Amino acid sequence: MSDLARGNIPIKSENDIVAARRVVRDLATQLCFGVTDVTRVITAASELARNVFLYVGAGVMWWSILDQCGEVGLELTFEDHGAGIPDVEQAMTPGYSTSRGLGLGLPGVKRLMDEMEIHTEVGKGTTVMVRKWLRK
Amino acid sequence: MAIRSKLSGTAALEDVEGVGSQAFLASIVECSDDAIYGKTLDGTILSWNRGAERIYGYSAGEMVGKPVSVLVPANKPDEVPAILERVKRGERVSHFETTRVRKDGEVIDLSLNVSPIRDASGQIIGASTTARDVTEQKKMREALTERAKEILDVSTPVLQVWEGVVVAPFIGTLDTQRAQQFMERLLDKIVQTNSAVALLDVTGVPAIDTRTAQHLIETITSVRLLGAQAILTGVRPAIAQTLAHLGINLADVVTRSSLAAGLRVALDILNLKIITQEDQAKGAQSL
Amino acid sequence: MTNQNISLVKVRNTLLLTMPADPDDVTVTTLQEEVLGAMEKYRPKGLVLDISGVETLDSFFARTITETSRMVTMMGGQTVIAGMRPSVAITATQLGLTMGGTFTALTVDRALDLLAHPHPRRRIR
Repeated sequence: MSDLARGNIPIKSENDIVAARRVVRDLATQLCFGVTDVTRVITAASELARNVFLYVGAGVMWWSILDQCGEVGLELTFEDHGAGIPDVEQAMTPGYSTSRGLGLGLPGVKRLMDEMEIHTEVGKGTTVMVRKWLRK
Repeated sequence: MAIRSKLSGTAALEDVEGVGSQAFLASIVECSDDAIYGKTLDGTILSWNRGAERIYGYSAGEMVGKPVSVLVPANKPDEVPAILERVKRGERVSHFETTRVRKDGEVIDLSLNVSPIRDASGQIIGASTTARDVTEQKKMREALTERAKEILDVSTPVLQVWEGVVVAPFIGTLDTQRAQQFMERLLDKIVQTNSAVALLDVTGVPAIDTRTAQHLIETITSVRLLGAQAILTGVRPAIAQTLAHLGINLADVVTRSSLAAGLRVALDILNLKIITQEDQAKGAQSL
Repeated sequence: MTNQNISLVKVRNTLLLTMPADPDDVTVTTLQEEVLGAMEKYRPKGLVLDISGVETLDSFFARTITETSRMVTMMGGQTVIAGMRPSVAITATQLGLTMGGTFTALTVDRALDLLAHPHPRRRIR
């Protein structure tokens, strides 16, 4: 799998959450994702960027456009050096939803995207990677 | 017919009987509809036939001596070097579908065949490319895929049965991709027809798997968020069981045992009532 | 910069609030403040939240809508969310956002009709 283009934006303020949405909208639209998939990807990015800002205060969103045997995809990675997630399994259980204002909303984000990987270490930080592939 | 070629590889053609044959073979190349051009192993164009002029828009005078990379779109910088590498090893590249850029900037779809050109001693001295314009073929293939999708859409139709009521009869299970497409189509139809009610009829579905059940619940929830009422009709015991096992409280979902019963509810929501001709007659009598 | 303006008008005895396409957090918070201010001033019977222009609805926006809707109820009014786009409805559902069970309507027109009939024929069992 190779990446065709990549970039990053810092997440340090509330404005950066909007900036992240805009960048992701541009990328998803350019890649010709359907309307609903564009909305899914932007919303997932908004949630993950917000997590970084709310819980840690500072982090980065990396983006890259992927090419795997002719399939095109968008990969977003949210990285912070915060406290880490102590119990990832619990965070991934449905029921820890964002609509109650608690938790990270990770199960919902996973539902919106095709792939999700979380790497976290207490005291060191967290990386959440999500991918969406273009449907034919 | 002049052979506009500096290709020393034509030495191989001299082995065939006489100059007459060589001219004949050369005219085959010239008159071909396909683009046929020769290049050195570092990609410099040595010959350029009429087909190439027509397909790419550049004349031979403009292309001979230039690097073939002139034709390559900016997003594929490694393609030509990769092809030439294989040719250097004596390999042929066949039916390679890719895009190239014409002189006027238009991007075209082509199928390339690239072969090594050897001199009399057998050494590889260049590459010969035949390029066929497959833009039309590609369009036809895409049209066929569209048609296949349309057929899929027909199997999960969304029909407007009355002003303000749409019905989506489910047939079989939905995989994730079809389910997403179905949800979008249903919601778009509701907006388009300004419908108040959507009847999701599962009479024809004896049992569903977990994934389809999840899609069903998501569909009902989305319809509600949109501002219409979703009614699930024709729920068989097996489906009720699956939904219950998933922890879905059917009390949250409006259900009716048959499509007809669901339709009655829909009409009620729309403040409509079905009056039989008998009723009308009685009503007229009592006036 | 995209338009971050919220439009709030009083139509008969109802508040009609129109949200911009991609409101930032400040705009979303302003929505709540504006609504509460207007509720106090006019004591209308209801609020129609027009989100037909909204392209992205994340959990923060959804939570704010739900809270606002509850506040409106406490102040004697009824909220209706109008014009949610199909792509937004599907995404919100998959993300698990419920809008707290607030009433929804396909269009602003329908929302106003809904509020005009104090006992809407919506409860079916």
